[in-house]
Amino acid sequence: MAELLLFQLYGPLASWGEPAVGEYRPSATHPGKSQIAGLLGAALGLTRDREEELAALAGGYGLAVRIDAEGELLRDYHTTQVPPARRGRTFTTRAEELAVDDLYTILSQRDYRVEAAWTCVLWATASAPYPLADLAEALRRPRFTLYLGRKSCPPALPLRPELIDSATLKDAFAGYPLDDRLGWLKRPERHRYFWEEPLPDGLASGFTAQEKLWVVPRRDRPGSRRRWQFATRDEHHAMA
Amino acid sequence: MERFVQLHLLTAYPPANLNRDDLGRPKTALMGGAERLRISSQSLKRAWRTSDLFQEKLKGHLGTRTKRMGEEIFHRLVQGGIAEKQAREWTRQIATVFGKLKKSKDDGSIEALHIEQLAHFSPEEQTAIDTLVQRLIETKQGPSAEDLNLLRERHSAADIALFGRMLADVPRFNTEAACQVAHAITVHKVAVEDDFYTAVDDLNRGEEDVGAGHMGETEFGAGLFYLYLCLDRELLLKNLGGDAKLAERTVEALVASAATVAPTGKQNSFASRARASYILCERGDTQPRSLSVAFLKPVEAGSKGLLANAVEALEDERRRLDSAYGDGDSDAVAMNTLTGQGSLADILAYAKGGLADG
Repeated sequence: MAELLLFQLYGPLASWGEPAVGEYRPSATHPGKSQIAGLLGAALGLTRDREEELAALAGGYGLAVRIDAEGELLRDYHTTQVPPARRGRTFTTRAEELAVDDLYTILSQRDYRVEAAWTCVLWATASAPYPLADLAEALRRPRFTLYLGRKSCPPALPLRPELIDSATLKDAFAGYPLDDRLGWLKRPERHRYFWEEPLPDGLASGFTAQEKLWVVPRRDRPGSRRRWQFATRDEHHAMA
Repeated sequence: MERFVQLHLLTAYPPANLNRDDLGRPKTALMGGAERLRISSQSLKRAWRTSDLFQEKLKGHLGTRTKRMGEEIFHRLVQGGIAEKQAREWTRQIATVFGKLKKSKDDGSIEALHIEQLAHFSPEEQTAIDTLVQRLIETKQGPSAEDLNLLRERHSAADIALFGRMLADVPRFNTEAACQVAHAITVHKVAVEDDFYTAVDDLNRGEEDVGAGHMGETEFGAGLFYLYLCLDRELLLKNLGGDAKLAERTVEALVASAATVAPTGKQNSFASRARASYILCERGDTQPRSLSVAFLKPVEAGSKGLLANAVEALEDERRRLDSAYGDGDSDAVAMNTLTGQGSLADILAYAKGGLADG
């Protein structure tokens, strides 16, 4: 048996961005390590400049995710007026930027997931900076606003953090059903699961060899935020 | 002080094309299996921030706009006993931090101390400039590179305190937005319609050809939008350097513009300006959540009408959510134009209540 923290993620829009900057900002099908670490950091009130503590959050907990509803892709067309970059000129307000005569427009495409919901499971590793119960309390009464990948994507349900003991991931997920309000969402017959290894002592994945699919590296482990660096992490997939 | 203020607004727009995609079509989103109209948060925030109302409410705290800061600095340096030639050189070094100088070479004129565009000077920057000028006079040494950097680090610009700022190349100017704005979505299913139109050529007397001079097509939609905002008041206060009075004015500017300012897109063609018909404002410390789940099932007009049904769905959902999760903020105030309940003034007073107590 291992102690696990479960919580749900649902909002009308969510965006689990890949480490891309520039014209096209894609979204993954489910939240990654950096986004969940960011969510916990916001709940605990860690500002973005506290890189070491944020790294400890990302490194201190294992993550598993179930896609409750896959939803659809929404591609948002986005225009922004910006002044040309000039040496020695830093704009401190948006109003100041817009006062410039030679504004030009930059285009970008941002992907969102709509009609989608997720359940997350966390477990503590030896280096966990907080007990799971503290994380649960922080999610109930967060210090900063929480969001699903982008600030414009607020959660539309409480995260419902729950602590349980379980022998397998599969059982833990099974004991945490989708909120009744989301009965409208189109749910798959078989859910997709993602988790990282090693699992803690006393916890098995619980998925059979037939249910297990593949192991895929994902570049979502936060390195330096300032330099926008991410390391890879192996994600185990299953369908059950 | 309760940390979070959550605002839920219902605003009905007549036929409009407020926020367009790359094909010029109104933006949409799928919710509850039905297509809805959508206005992006970016579009909303721009409309609020650039509105007269916002500018008016925050006068003096969006900074002083001037091209002439250099002239002031120069006069004070000279009065302080700095030789004119030296004073001009230092002035131009400082002024260039705030904008491109009007003249690339110093020809001895007053204009050569001005910058080309109006620049915003925040109260903190003004203080920093004053301190720097004083030090230059005392030490008789020109400004170092570090002196020139310091000028822009602190600011009390209310728009940045609310909506944040990320500068990848100068992270020290970054500010985390205190206000979270969701995309506005209609509470009901919407079909985007085509408007086929023709324009007649005024000088065509119809002697040879009586056809239209121009034909075109524009897409539009109408709807009742749900808009959700969450304001982190502690962060706002921190972003404004602890100035509670300014934080109160900023909350007023935000809430009033969210209630009354429409995005400017295609307003000349549709004049679809509208004000919120309903506002619910919650204050508390528990995890904020939008109430969009109330509209997962598209609202129908029925006999009571769309607005009444949407208000009912919203208020019912809030009660049900709070009882299901057992952690809601019981406190809230509402304004409802349908029943005459409450006013924007009530909402403003409630949203800023307790801010000054810290």
